[in-house]
Amino acid sequence: MRFQQILRFIGILNVFLGLSMLAPLVVSLIYSDGSTSSILQSFIITSGGGLILFFITRSGDYSSLSQREGVAIVTFGWLSAGFFGCLPFVLSGSIGSLTDAFFESVSGFTTTGASILTDIESLPRGILFWRSLTQWLGGMGIIVLSIAILPFLGVGGMQLYRAEIPSPVVDKLQPRISETAKILWKVYVLITLIEIGLLFVGGMSLFDSICHGFCTMPTGGFSPHSASIAYYNNAYFEGVITVFMLLAGVNFALHFKFLRGDVKVFGRDPECRVFIFALALLIVLVTFNIYGTAYHSIAGAFRRAAFQVTSIITTTGFVTSDYAQWPALSQIILFLCMFAGAMAGSTGGAIKTMRIILLIKYGFRELFRLAHPHAVRSIKLGRKPVPEEVLSSIWGFFILYVGLFILAVIIMSALGLDVITSFASVAATIGNVGPGFGLVGPTGNYLAVPDLGKWVLTFCMLLGRLEIFTVIILLAPAYWRK
Amino acid sequence: MKIIIVGAGEVGFNIAQRLSEENHDVVVVDKDYNKINHIQSVIDVQAIVGSGTSPSVLTEAGIRESDIIVAATDSDEANLIACFYAQHLTDYITKIARVRNPDYMEHGDFFKREFLNIDLIINPQSEMVNSMLRLMEIPEASEVIDFVNGKVKLIGVTIKEDSPLVGRKLSSFQNIEEVLLVGVIVRGEEVIIPGGQDTIQPNDLLYCVTRPEEISTIFRLLNVRETGLGRVAIVGGGTTGLALATSLDKRNINTKIIERDSQRCLELAEKLEKVVVLNGDGTDREFLIEENVADVDIMVVMTGDEETNVLISLLGKALGAKKTVTRIGKLSYIPLVSAIGIDTVVSQRLSAIRAILQYIRKGKVVCVAPLKAEVAEVIEFEALETSDIVNTPLSKVKFPKEAIVGAIVRGEEIIIPRGHNMIKPHDHLIIFALKGAIPKLEKLFTVKLEYF
Repeated sequence: MRFQQILRFIGILNVFLGLSMLAPLVVSLIYSDGSTSSILQSFIITSGGGLILFFITRSGDYSSLSQREGVAIVTFGWLSAGFFGCLPFVLSGSIGSLTDAFFESVSGFTTTGASILTDIESLPRGILFWRSLTQWLGGMGIIVLSIAILPFLGVGGMQLYRAEIPSPVVDKLQPRISETAKILWKVYVLITLIEIGLLFVGGMSLFDSICHGFCTMPTGGFSPHSASIAYYNNAYFEGVITVFMLLAGVNFALHFKFLRGDVKVFGRDPECRVFIFALALLIVLVTFNIYGTAYHSIAGAFRRAAFQVTSIITTTGFVTSDYAQWPALSQIILFLCMFAGAMAGSTGGAIKTMRIILLIKYGFRELFRLAHPHAVRSIKLGRKPVPEEVLSSIWGFFILYVGLFILAVIIMSALGLDVITSFASVAATIGNVGPGFGLVGPTGNYLAVPDLGKWVLTFCMLLGRLEIFTVIILLAPAYWRK
Repeated sequence: MKIIIVGAGEVGFNIAQRLSEENHDVVVVDKDYNKINHIQSVIDVQAIVGSGTSPSVLTEAGIRESDIIVAATDSDEANLIACFYAQHLTDYITKIARVRNPDYMEHGDFFKREFLNIDLIINPQSEMVNSMLRLMEIPEASEVIDFVNGKVKLIGVTIKEDSPLVGRKLSSFQNIEEVLLVGVIVRGEEVIIPGGQDTIQPNDLLYCVTRPEEISTIFRLLNVRETGLGRVAIVGGGTTGLALATSLDKRNINTKIIERDSQRCLELAEKLEKVVVLNGDGTDREFLIEENVADVDIMVVMTGDEETNVLISLLGKALGAKKTVTRIGKLSYIPLVSAIGIDTVVSQRLSAIRAILQYIRKGKVVCVAPLKAEVAEVIEFEALETSDIVNTPLSKVKFPKEAIVGAIVRGEEIIIPRGHNMIKPHDHLIIFALKGAIPKLEKLFTVKLEYF
């Protein structure tokens, strides 16, 4: 472990983060909302701190970053982003306590969308903009962004990329890691711009369009309105956002291939087919379940069901209706969606379709083996066999995911939260969804959770976004042993 | 430039690493998931699991946009088939194949015709035999590399403690300045591009450029007695041993070849004319003394087992062999064995890597030879009219510190340059450089040190 290198990189990351604060600075100047000086201070502290870190550490050879150093850089980089990212909230006085501000900031960067804010509209525009921007930066990944911008990260970049990208298998789209990162960001920016354009054309204010665009593509779910998308009660906006949530839940490598002219790529990809099919099935189920009970027209039921199921399964967390009032089946479906998540390689969180497909196939293979003890069978995705190493790492991921979920639920209930809230708050944070059930349901928020609980949930969000291993390995004694 | 490498073995890996470091887009294809996983985490390349002999895998690897395919798997047939598909999937792709089977090589021209149209066939064995033969021309040197078709020689010489040069500054070589230029000094683990202030110390390995006819002058200066190539012993009569023995046979060099297997000895005896074939074990000290094998000018050790090779070489040295040449398979052994006193190491893989890299980087870069542990390189290339460096005295050119011009070749004339010499367009330059200086050199020569 070369701590110099790690600190230096985190310094660079901070400079970037600081520079990105210039955007909300401009917004606050335009609206002269009184948050200008606090954002300016945050900018100076963040980039100043980054520059100091950069200059006090020795320049090193990044080409030989080890896997260990990679995970340390990514985890500590995200922690530092969460910390410096909460400065605008604290300095402007928008959020009083540091615990709350850190929670909100990490919720932003990890694209969770869980909020402790009760009266969102009262915040200065600049701060609201920063809140959305944290999600947008966190979605495709701050590390991936720096790999795209800093060409010297070449070889070491792969270790960082692997530690940050939310997928069990790492797919390089181009021979060079920096090119791969650039492509992903370009696709991301392009789709975001299209969404902002469509929302704006439909009559949403420019500020709101940008904020929602910035929070849809990363499957974040922050909204500048307390009532989230329900604030507008507008079928067009809901339609546009549903479609873009779906796009955000698809592997970005497929988008890239599609944009390059391979139009059939979505239909050919086995994971994508399962994902779309499962999503459609769940939407139909929920539509018929809520039709007649909560909504009286089939179209109205479909509109709510499609939005809400897509929002939860892609782990976005936008809300158009109080689904806590829906029948039990729909609530259970939404709750389970929090674990399912979208496709690998998307910006979504949770376990992800690919892992679930492979776990199910694994289970069936064991059954098959019972029937044919001498059978040799390899598990395939599409027509490609999946290496046993990948399968065992998926098993490891699943066990850790469930284990950490249970541990966190026990802690939350010990802190005095009710059963539903304990389960839902952890599921919604470790899955990077945002809203859950009970106290933290679609109409509630996380303010009432005790401080210790907020720290636990903050940790859960980080675990979820960095796919468990990257964070948890730092707690393993074997990692620190020489 | 985009390059597809089929096979992520040692040859494929090393080529991929070098090309990736030189900013080429590299895609590696291999059937073995573990190799792919490893290569992808260590170097910045795209790695695909799949068979290089499958057109769909090659298409996935982007063969249609690629400039070069290097087929470097362990199987000749797989390499040829990969090139065959490459030829039929894209018209203009450059194809390089590693082919080892001597039967194929005998009719290597077939592969170069329209059916496969392979641009370069690398036979690691013959590359290795050639580099050994070059070494034998100048047995006093530990390494010999040809530039400009042999008009300029690069030789590696180890300085003995009693050498008159020990302790002298390079700038004090007034009388020989125009004859020889010391390009690189290897001192233990350190590799130095020397300036005039550097002094020569005992046990330094010097790499110098010179004209072939000056070599004896240099050895006189260095107080190295030039004995010429008298007797050679080859331990191990495998295919490479036989190939080397055959070439030495043709040149009438007194050669003995030792082989453990009596059956193989008969075959060797049938194929060789004057070479003495000895049936015995190369690790047997008594045998080596009895047959007076160890007391030779060069002892070439190339049995199939590399650990045995190292031990036999050490034994041979102890028994009086003036120089040993040891065949090593694993590239990672090379730095280790030079540390325990092995003079010169040859490796099929290293030879293949060098040959492939030289070919890929042709263009304005004519020839590249990596030196010692790959830290330094000697690059031969042509100066273009558009470059800043032409028509300026060398002392005025802002050269990176870690690089030095070793020789200027202008038509038939070979200039060992000094500060006042000027580079003219179309001169061939031979430059020593540490790896780190190569990007700076690229800028300096405006033409990238790549394929245009």
